[in-house]
Amino acid sequence: MSSNRKILVCCGTGCLANNSYQVYEKFKSLTKEKEITVKPLVKPTGCNGLCEKGPVVKILPDDISYFKVKVEDVEEIIEKTIIKGKIIDRLLYFDTNTKTKITDHRNATFYKNQHKIALRNIGEIDPSKIEDYIERDGYEALKKVLFNFKPEKVLDMVEESYLRGRGGAGFPTGIKWKTCASYDNFPKYVICNGDEGDPGAFMDRSIMEGDPNTVIEGMIICAYAVGSNQGYLYIRDEYELARKNMQIAIDSAREHGYLGKNILGSSLNFDLEIVRGGGAFVCGESSALMASIQGKVGEPRAKYIRSVEKGLWEQPTILNNVETWANIPPILLKGPNWFKKIGVKDNYGTKVFSLVGKVKNTGLVEVPMGSSLRNLVFEIGGGIINDKEFKAVQTGGPSGGCIPKEHLDVNLDFDSLDDIGSMMGSGGVIVMDENTCMVEVARYYMEFLSEESCGKCTTCREGIKLMLDILTNITEGKGTKEDLDLLIDICHTVEKGSLCGLGQTAPNPVKTTIEFFKDEYLEHIENHRCPAGVCKNLTSYHINQDECIGCGICAKKCPVDAISGEPKKAHKIDQNSCITCGECYENCPVDAIKIGGGIVES
Amino acid sequence: MKVKINGKVLNAKEGETILQLAKRKKIEIPSLCYKKGFEDLGRCRMCLVEIKNGRRKKIVSSCAYPVKENLEVQTHTEEIIKIRKDIVMLMYLKSPDNKYVQKLAEEYKIDEPKKYIQKINDDCILCGLCVEACRELGTNAISMVQRGSEKKVSTPYDDESKDCIGCGSCAEVCPTDAIKVEETENTRTIWNRKFELVSCKICGKNYTTLETIKYSEKLLGEEIEYICNECKKKITADTFKESFKNIY
Amino acid sequence: MIALENKIEINLKNTEKILEKYPKNKRYTLAMLQDIQRNYEYIPKEAMYEVSKYIESPLNEVYSIATFYKALSLEPKGKFVIKVCNGTACHIRGSDKVLDEIKSSLDIQPGETTEDGLFSVEIVNCVGACALAPVMVINEKYYGNMTKDKVHKVLEKIRRDNNEQQ
Repeated sequence: MSSNRKILVCCGTGCLANNSYQVYEKFKSLTKEKEITVKPLVKPTGCNGLCEKGPVVKILPDDISYFKVKVEDVEEIIEKTIIKGKIIDRLLYFDTNTKTKITDHRNATFYKNQHKIALRNIGEIDPSKIEDYIERDGYEALKKVLFNFKPEKVLDMVEESYLRGRGGAGFPTGIKWKTCASYDNFPKYVICNGDEGDPGAFMDRSIMEGDPNTVIEGMIICAYAVGSNQGYLYIRDEYELARKNMQIAIDSAREHGYLGKNILGSSLNFDLEIVRGGGAFVCGESSALMASIQGKVGEPRAKYIRSVEKGLWEQPTILNNVETWANIPPILLKGPNWFKKIGVKDNYGTKVFSLVGKVKNTGLVEVPMGSSLRNLVFEIGGGIINDKEFKAVQTGGPSGGCIPKEHLDVNLDFDSLDDIGSMMGSGGVIVMDENTCMVEVARYYMEFLSEESCGKCTTCREGIKLMLDILTNITEGKGTKEDLDLLIDICHTVEKGSLCGLGQTAPNPVKTTIEFFKDEYLEHIENHRCPAGVCKNLTSYHINQDECIGCGICAKKCPVDAISGEPKKAHKIDQNSCITCGECYENCPVDAIKIGGGIVES
Repeated sequence: MKVKINGKVLNAKEGETILQLAKRKKIEIPSLCYKKGFEDLGRCRMCLVEIKNGRRKKIVSSCAYPVKENLEVQTHTEEIIKIRKDIVMLMYLKSPDNKYVQKLAEEYKIDEPKKYIQKINDDCILCGLCVEACRELGTNAISMVQRGSEKKVSTPYDDESKDCIGCGSCAEVCPTDAIKVEETENTRTIWNRKFELVSCKICGKNYTTLETIKYSEKLLGEEIEYICNECKKKITADTFKESFKNIY
Repeated sequence: MIALENKIEINLKNTEKILEKYPKNKRYTLAMLQDIQRNYEYIPKEAMYEVSKYIESPLNEVYSIATFYKALSLEPKGKFVIKVCNGTACHIRGSDKVLDEIKSSLDIQPGETTEDGLFSVEIVNCVGACALAPVMVINEKYYGNMTKDKVHKVLEKIRRDNNEQQ
């Protein structure tokens, strides 16, 4: 066996939550103890993307991947696979699409359709070892730039690549950089927006945890191009591991001469500081983020003068998202033409999506721009859990819209999503099924935004609260047709009157759910019924007497003994005792239980 | 530079905002959080206008938008008026018993959804003028705390403030009279703290607090006589009269 | 809620050591407050006064920052802080059931602490472990794929282990 034998244990937050660190430690100690001719290297890596099936362990160069590895399995893996070269069948990945076991995870449907640029190193390297990064072309782009290109050439290349911001707005990065470079006003600042706040999105977390150096390299290249000497990484408070790994990377980069004075012997001076967020979603907005770095509360300002001109401390500032930074080194190394071969017109490159919710294969995915949503959900995602009916996906988080079944074939790129009234957002794709209530989803997002609103402007602060109150009434059965009209009416004022993006996009989940699921709203209001069975006041369960096979599973599952019936005879639910927990509905093998409306006291 | 507001061409100054230009030219744009000296808070959103720069139309807050050559501004389009109406309605839901908000509600003829009127009236519309006034004219004793719909103006921990001097600048700038000032014969209570009032040695009226005097003395570095503003003006006027007499 | 404040001695020397790590610049207010929070598990009033003195800033500016950023708490928390993730993925996969179980097991509402000071519960935004929804985090330890049963078992185990340690 070659001396390049490696055991890579995923230590991203998802796998860590499943005790992968203990698995890593066990591998380390046992490989030391045991008699192995050539000791394999044991490395912790960042997120492999398939968090649901973690902890993930990869063995190279055998290209064997094991999933759901427990501490108890480690000894067996060493004995059977490392020493004897045998595969342990039960730990292999089971591809639900092809219904086969896969040895090399890269052949799984989940991974096959992916194209990794931003995530190219994650899962393959130890993020705390800069040498691992360097081994895989790390800092080669920086070297090329510093010693072969003038700053103007760097700007031209980024502009030509037409890389669009991956934080959600999709603004052309090259234009942003060029505008900033045009101002003869120093100092200038370079900022990384690591305040990933969209619920359901963890792309940036994985990059910061699993490959921090790609972000650093991207920022140094930008500093060279626009003329900056100081950068900041604003990292969300909740991302402790990301901050830790980023700091290790910054310290190593300094030691190796990639940061600090006279970088690699050139005349560029640039350094980075991590600024920790304080638990405020609004600080993902660029002017609020800058206010936060400056030591104030995270209140945005009206951006009539852009921050590339007057940003941090009123100086020209470049702010880009983590994933955008991660794309810079490959673009500079391989050239804009390489980048433009991937994706579709005006939407080049790839996008990282976090595919979560009611989908079988939840995790992190990077696909070329323009891939179809259907492919993402049903091929890569493996379809809906328990093969229920697909209902919608939510993209763009609380600023985005829902995409219903009729738009399943939309292409995932900025422009196509814009065209159907949705938005790309940062990449969170939340999959919803027939038992997700779209009214409740709208209410949930308004509740989130109402807590996260900074409270500065009247329209956002009071407007979102009003929308939340209306939606709460509707989900509790107290909604009227007038309420729905008022809800639709106030959306326009909140959108046009608010100071910043949070307020301006807040009506989107409401508008899109009403546009595509108005019937569901009306069902709540007029018939006091929640068709998805989520709003407890508007739900009741009834066993269809013709379809029931009398198996009795529902009665066993019922926590309050509300179901009665004789074996092989149709069962009945006592509505007075029923607490509408839904256990019977979820477990009926023949789907004989139907959702009825609730009885609401006026 | 030339800027058009409601079709009228005006001469704008470099660096001023649309609202400043409008105020200069006596063109009415409603604004609740604007006061001379505290000009671009951007909180109330009433000063929204529609602008056209080139082909695209946009709605912006006039208190913060800087004038540009050939900018075209409309201050009272149907859309803008509807937005202002909604803003007043939203304020009314929170402050239904406040007479200033009620006046606005009448002026904009709002149709308030009674179901959503807050049970407990809150006079504050969070315009932020009091905080700015305290920062500029007082001792930075109050600020905006919390966020979202919990946001309010208060002293730290709602405690009796150590920094407050009871000058009352905050209450003076408040557009809705939301700051409670209680005065007795010799005291003024504001922000949970009781201050001793000081009387003018000429007319005997109570006019400020002892702490305000002490604070001003500290800033000026000299002792101040206890004379109220009216009497001060009268003394100055009399001094002028006297000196004119000597000339003519 | 009982006054846990009198159980914690505000050691001002400790606060000094925390603040000295930073330059006397109000830019670092949030970072100072977070370090204080990590030390005392909340921000005592006295510590806030120390911060305002150190950076020579009025107390109300520090107080504004402390009440704006929800990572900071002005109330003492329990020994074990349970954060129930209510991110969208967790929400649609049943975070409400997780919260219900905690509420009934511990008899407290979100934002509150149990009488014995052992547990506090909070609802938090997405913690980034969406693939394991629904998730709860207790003192930085992640618990994924939670159900009512699992929640109950986790809480019992913590209580048992804590009692053994006493």
